[in-house]
Amino acid sequence: MDTLCKTVRQDILHISQHSGHGHIPTCFSVIEMLRSVYATMRHDCANPQCDERDIFILSKGHAALAHYCMLARSGYFPIEEVYGFGAFRSKFGCHADRNSVTGVEWSTGSLGHGSGVAAGIALTFKIKKSPRKVFVLIGDGETNEGSVWESLMVAANLKLDNLYVLFDNNRSQSRCLPITNAVEKFKAFDCETFEVNGHDVDEINAALTTPPNGRPKVIVANTEKGFGCKTLVEEVFSWHRRSPSKDEMEMLLGELP
Amino acid sequence: MRNHFKDIVLKLAEKDERVVLLLGDISVYLLKNFSDRFPDRLYNAGICENTLVSMAAGMSSQGLHPFVHTIAPFITERCYEQVKLDMCYNRAGGNIVSCGGSFDYAWDGATHHCYTDLELMRMLPGMEVMQPGNKKELGTLIESQYANGNASYFRIPADEHDLDLPVEFGKANIVLHSDSAPLTIATAGPILKNVHEACQELDVNLLYFHTIKPLDAQVLSRYAETQILVVHDAFGLSEAISSTINAKVKYHGIPDKFCCYYGTLDDIRGLLGLDVEGIRKTILKELGEL
Repeated sequence: MDTLCKTVRQDILHISQHSGHGHIPTCFSVIEMLRSVYATMRHDCANPQCDERDIFILSKGHAALAHYCMLARSGYFPIEEVYGFGAFRSKFGCHADRNSVTGVEWSTGSLGHGSGVAAGIALTFKIKKSPRKVFVLIGDGETNEGSVWESLMVAANLKLDNLYVLFDNNRSQSRCLPITNAVEKFKAFDCETFEVNGHDVDEINAALTTPPNGRPKVIVANTEKGFGCKTLVEEVFSWHRRSPSKDEMEMLLGELP
Repeated sequence: MRNHFKDIVLKLAEKDERVVLLLGDISVYLLKNFSDRFPDRLYNAGICENTLVSMAAGMSSQGLHPFVHTIAPFITERCYEQVKLDMCYNRAGGNIVSCGGSFDYAWDGATHHCYTDLELMRMLPGMEVMQPGNKKELGTLIESQYANGNASYFRIPADEHDLDLPVEFGKANIVLHSDSAPLTIATAGPILKNVHEACQELDVNLLYFHTIKPLDAQVLSRYAETQILVVHDAFGLSEAISSTINAKVKYHGIPDKFCCYYGTLDDIRGLLGLDVEGIRKTILKELGEL
């Protein structure tokens, strides 16, 4: 496991244990994607509002803790600040507020908003003839929302090839409305579609750095909820929104490779 | 009136390159001049109001001044959460311009009637809500508010009132005033025409609001000692007044049932007692009971 990805998983476990909040399994499924986005996109933690930056939106907002930890480890703020996670008057809510947290470009939480916003930003960059790109991370459960498909249709029709959609295919909807044949579905929506191992940073990097070619890109990232801790993977539903006790912490930290 | 909107946005686009239109497959032919002139600043994006609003919020967050335009129920009720979260909570802003408010599309029936939009928009923190009643108000309000970075809602009416009143965002007009009047009528939008006519030769005050939010509390407070009667073919104004001053406020407008009739705007107004005769009858009843 990539060193930074392991550190972020440790941060998430510690902060969840400390705060009593956090969706740990869903956070663990997106960490390599976050790692890859912040490694490949143009951004500057010393000048977070710089005019040339690319934009990243975490549309599946319940993975906010993973985003905070990645931002902290990318230099946006000290990791110690995130220990207020979910507390009254903390900047770091269980869903992120862009008007409070440096580096967060969009406040999310209700599913199905980020891809439409990202399409609007991507269109803005086209209108301005800017080379800036937009990255948006959506969940498979989120893709139950019709607004996701609306926005992809519009983005493809407008040829927004500066839009990169990362699809966290962690099969969270296996008990409800699964998104089967995801690659075929996104292709049918006229998106350039890649399928990668969502826990392999190099594979994600390769897809994210593919040059624009006239169509929005969707990276179907096959992931596991709780990836990195055997217990979380095996007992995924019971850990959906649970924080570890001190004893469980030792076990989970020990399971990280 | 939509023609006038076309002229307004074309004029704005000529002097402000940040003006962009997002259409929900409406007014496309009407805005042909705009798209011919500025092909990369008009997008007939699709019949997908959720996405239109989210996109507009994203565009606004990056310094453009988008106008999202389609029919009132679809761009307010259907995509309410997108307006609430993407435009308002994110403080991204953007301009929503609707047509077909209240019963402007009377003949299309209850699916196209929209009398909740003003109140829904008013409840959202940071939203500006305007119901222009004629061309002058539409032009003045759009020009003064479109580029301020806030989320703004403008309703293009199908008809208009014929009073030439001063227009300033957030300011109400005192159309009729009598020191002895026990009753103050409040109204908004083009129905002012009917309300004004119904008030003739009666000892009443008449207040007119083209801006529902922020409401002009200063003007309203001068009439707090009188009975207030809101006459309005929508929700929004009555609730705004009730939550602004501590006064007796009554409402004459939309009943608690769907309007399952077609016909014309005047047909529906007549049915609801919002024609001149119905409004005058209501006012006289109030005056008799005071």
